Amino acid sequence: MSIAATARSRGLRCSLAAVAALAAFHWGAARAAEGRLYPSGPPNGVAYLRFVNLAPQEVTILSPAAKIAIPADDAHRVGEFDPVTPGVALTGSARLGEATKPIDVTLKPNEFVTVAVTSEGSDGISLTVFRDVPSDFNALKSSLALFNLDKGCAQAQLVAGDNHMSVIPEVGPGAIGRRLVNPVGATLGVACGDPTQAVEAKLGPLNAGDRYSIFLIANGSSREVVAQRDEQAPFRP
Amino acid sequence: MNALLAGLAVLIIGDSHMVTRDYLITTLHDDLLAQGATVDTYGMCGANAADWVYPTTVSCGKAERHGKVGPEINRAASAPTYQIDALIEKSHPNLIVIEMGDTMAGYGQHDFPQGWIYQQVHALTGRIAAKNIPCVWVGPPWGSEGTVFHKTFARVKEMSEFLSNAVAPCRFVDSTQFSKEGEWPTIDGQHLTLSGYKAWGADIAASLDQLAPQLARQP
Repeated sequence: MSIAATARSRGLRCSLAAVAALAAFHWGAARAAEGRLYPSGPPNGVAYLRFVNLAPQEVTILSPAAKIAIPADDAHRVGEFDPVTPGVALTGSARLGEATKPIDVTLKPNEFVTVAVTSEGSDGISLTVFRDVPSDFNALKSSLALFNLDKGCAQAQLVAGDNHMSVIPEVGPGAIGRRLVNPVGATLGVACGDPTQAVEAKLGPLNAGDRYSIFLIANGSSREVVAQRDEQAPFRP
Repeated sequence: MNALLAGLAVLIIGDSHMVTRDYLITTLHDDLLAQGATVDTYGMCGANAADWVYPTTVSCGKAERHGKVGPEINRAASAPTYQIDALIEKSHPNLIVIEMGDTMAGYGQHDFPQGWIYQQVHALTGRIAAKNIPCVWVGPPWGSEGTVFHKTFARVKEMSEFLSNAVAPCRFVDSTQFSKEGEWPTIDGQHLTLSGYKAWGADIAASLDQLAPQLARQP
């Protein structure tokens, strides 16, 4: 295995502007019917945006053009990376129960941005923006990314196998660690401190060429892990 | 000549390098026919890899050729795209050759759009892999610098290196290994002269010849 890229989050970013066109969000056919939040990006110089619900209940994302609901179950809480136009402010809001938070994010060309919604904070909702320009695209390997949303975990690490071998070390809160691995079926877990206390990341066998995201989130005094294969929505003019 | 190519049903798909009579739709197609293969060739001008997967329209024409019959070229703008699943259903190939790269390399753009290219490539190779058909991906030739297409040798090299890691389970044929930079003259920076297409077609056919023993043969 070789470390292919490590990207660091640049933290939560909020600014406001207007986007009036449509965008596509496909979390299955039912979700497609809910409309497109932002315009799709151009064929080249495109950037990718996804929303992830790491809260215990449904989250609603509103843009000037559409509204989508992201369920809280593991099969649906991680949205597709949707192609959007780089250099344009994408605005809206995220709602969790009665709490809302503004969304305003401008992507750079070729950037992959993940907006993660959690129920942390005094107002019951928190957004964390992870920015990544990956360069490890490889159809013979699997790409694993560890997203640390646990402010109480100074150094999260992804470990593998019965001997808890470190796969992605030292990922601070609000940061991403990434690594290319051989497509195998090893047991994966996320540890904070003692690797023998890792929380399992249930991804199943890894496929060559596929990319995976593993999110570490705080849950009271314990921790949870959400793990899913990344999906990219096709460009739609 | 490798006898393993004889009797193969080869489906060739590609971009604008397949959409004019004297281009690869003639030279490569004829070379494989001469080796005893059954050949169907399809080209879509300006098409990206995922255009063969998600229906859309072509921007500058398309062409097809079957066996020894000459190519049919359709220059109509906004003709519907060929779809790989339908072509496979029609041709029942036991080898697919994909010639693509120039349309996706982001010539003239500062940033190399890796994520987007990977998505395009993965969409197409995924459909082919799902049907267990051996495939070979042919990357772009050097072309010429300083033209309207903004093609540069550096970006062609970058694209070829990227594709070599991105096209699995297809095997990759690196067209930059067939000539020196600028050795094959072009008419516009991107499209070769007749002699260039003859040389490129012959070199691709020779590469397929070499790869044939390594490609699992479908019944």
